[in-house]
Amino acid sequence: MDDVKAPPRSRLAIAFLRLFTVQASWNYERLIGVGTGFAAEPLLRGLDADRYRAALGRASRYFNSHPYLSGAGAGALARAEVDGVPAEQVERLRGALAGPLGSIGDRLVWAGWLPMLSALALTGVAWGRGLTAVAWFLVVYNLGHVALRWWALRAGWNYGPRVATALQEPWMRRAGQYLGPATALAFGLALPMVVQWSGDAFRGWARITLAVAAAVAFGLLRWRPDILSGLRLGLVLVVIALIAGMLW
Amino acid sequence: MPHWWGLLAFGAIVGLDLVSFPQMMLARPIVAGAGAGLLLGDVGAGLRLGVLFELFQYDILPVGATRYPEYGPATVIAVGAAHAFALPFGIGLATVVGLFTAMIGGISLQILRRLNTRAVTAAAPALERGDVRALYRLHFSGAARDLLRAALVTAFGLVLVAVTREFVVPALSHRGERLLSVAATGAGLAAGAAGTLRLVGLGTHLKWLAAGLVGGIVLAWMT
Repeated sequence: MDDVKAPPRSRLAIAFLRLFTVQASWNYERLIGVGTGFAAEPLLRGLDADRYRAALGRASRYFNSHPYLSGAGAGALARAEVDGVPAEQVERLRGALAGPLGSIGDRLVWAGWLPMLSALALTGVAWGRGLTAVAWFLVVYNLGHVALRWWALRAGWNYGPRVATALQEPWMRRAGQYLGPATALAFGLALPMVVQWSGDAFRGWARITLAVAAAVAFGLLRWRPDILSGLRLGLVLVVIALIAGMLW
Repeated sequence: MPHWWGLLAFGAIVGLDLVSFPQMMLARPIVAGAGAGLLLGDVGAGLRLGVLFELFQYDILPVGATRYPEYGPATVIAVGAAHAFALPFGIGLATVVGLFTAMIGGISLQILRRLNTRAVTAAAPALERGDVRALYRLHFSGAARDLLRAALVTAFGLVLVAVTREFVVPALSHRGERLLSVAATGAGLAAGAAGTLRLVGLGTHLKWLAAGLVGGIVLAWMT
């Protein structure tokens, strides 16, 4: 194996910035593979021309991950190339990382951090905090977002092919444990506040109709989630109401 | 509508944020709605529609290659519509326009992914050779396509606003307006509640949801 050389901080910084575009070329053939290659490219610049081209060719093949954790993949794969790990092992590493980086990210971010903060923002708006609640959501969410992206890239580069070790760090397990209940709690807090806030705009028959419509629509969505989505049901309801409203 | 260009630019930025760059949640309806409200000087409508579309957003989990409606530019359009209609209960009709825009946005994402796939297939030999210029070209053209897509979706929404204002608004009675607002709000609340239950599940986290509901009811009663 070659001597391990840490990339200059500027290259790591460029790779980090590129990770914000990792899904820009999302496609059904390589998923985020092209974006991962684009992000990893600065980390491969220390290689000689032949190894650089071979490594770049591999770096942009099929890959999938949660976008915020894709840095762990880009960093680990680039580090493996710089360390001179054989191509077959690099390919196996790519295949092995895709599943965990996707499922951990989905659980932590899409099903945890994001909906929890969104629910708290809705509570804030319904509580009369308006734009402050929205600004708070943007700032706090992105503190976590940017920190996770940076951590993932550093972990990928530092651990290389052993990056799976980083995914078992205690903070990650704790975050997984606490985010589920915290998200449920935040949703519970938000729903009554939003119902009251939304209902305040209506009086008399309109308020009763709202309660009945929401209950029936909720029942339908729970009954047939296989064919009904919020969008479909929403479109059907508003189109019926539109026609009724034009005739009434 | 005096702010068409501003809304078009903002809708395009919001659409780009969803997938391509930088995924900072500008595309979240609550943020897109507030932003559009600020742009139009109508923060109240922005927040109301932002919250409503955020509830619709709870119905989807944007995991991997799943197909989903695009609510970011749709919220921008809905706020623009509410502002343009200037009706006491314009939120209902604005939601109609927004939901159609969300549907078109979702379809446009599928088309974009197919176009990206075609471009990647064509560039595959160069990528395999490790041609860095081909990689850059492919990646930047994907981002440019997405920006164009988001702008087109927003432009479609703006046309829908103009057509609705011209032909539907004059035909709608005050009662009809209210009925439409009731239907839109009811659908949003139902989608939000159903999405919440799906995300939280019926397992161990249900007790936390129940605890939150108690807290939320107390908080709602106090305010």
